Amino acid sequence: MKWVLRCRDATELASRAMDERLPLSNRMALRFHLAICENCARFNRQLQEMRRLFRSQTAADDDAPGLAPAARQRIANELRNKLGS
Amino acid sequence: MPLNTLDAHHWLADHGDYLFRVARRQLHSDELAEDAVQETLLAALSAQTRYAGDASPRTWLTGILKHKIVDLIRRNVREVEIPRDEEGEEAVDRLFKQDGHWAEPLRPWGNPQAEAELGQLRRVLDECADRLKPVMAQVFSLREVAGMETEEICKELNITPTNCWVLLHRARLFMRQCLELNGFAKAGAA
Repeated sequence: MKWVLRCRDATELASRAMDERLPLSNRMALRFHLAICENCARFNRQLQEMRRLFRSQTAADDDAPGLAPAARQRIANELRNKLGS
Repeated sequence: MPLNTLDAHHWLADHGDYLFRVARRQLHSDELAEDAVQETLLAALSAQTRYAGDASPRTWLTGILKHKIVDLIRRNVREVEIPRDEEGEEAVDRLFKQDGHWAEPLRPWGNPQAEAELGQLRRVLDECADRLKPVMAQVFSLREVAGMETEEICKELNITPTNCWVLLHRARLFMRQCLELNGFAKAGAA
């Protein structure tokens, strides 16, 4: 990996850094790029914001649709069969 | 405490919607999410003698669900050719100029605090994730929603780490763009 990154490479490293600790040289190159590139710095912040929003979302208290009645009935039947067997 | 027939029927009534939403958010398909709920409850029936009662039934069921979700993705993951997928590559190409710089400047996101506004953003988040290609959406959600480690995801789904990074990088680029186009971009900092 070169020291002077193109934005495209920088987004690749920024993405990977969300998943694991980068090797030192990559980390330095990324940090340097983010310090001078407004768009990539924003990209990096938005990745973190995206994660924060996803993980602060709980299924219990939201209004996403639940099980469809037909599916619920089907599952109830399966459970009943299994209990009967 | 062994759970009886009545309790098992309560599982569906008490936790069915919850389990479905959790599964739906990671599988991006109603059908697969319904399968996940069904397989979870059936497995729970078989395993109920092993339920020690130290976790709430919902927590216990959710633990089983996590495994079922990964199982279902694994069974559907034949098409993990995505990193070689032409369309995905071209879509990424469009985001950057020939010299590797951004084609368009990124717009800042707003910084909403109000719960209603946050709820709206979360809906957009789900809709954008649904628009990713299925396997990409699933891998992305195992990472970002379920918080599984990348290494674990790769191993479970039998994808190389490199392919995993490519999938996640593309998913994040597409997600960010989709969010910007659907209401995340605002005057203000982020």
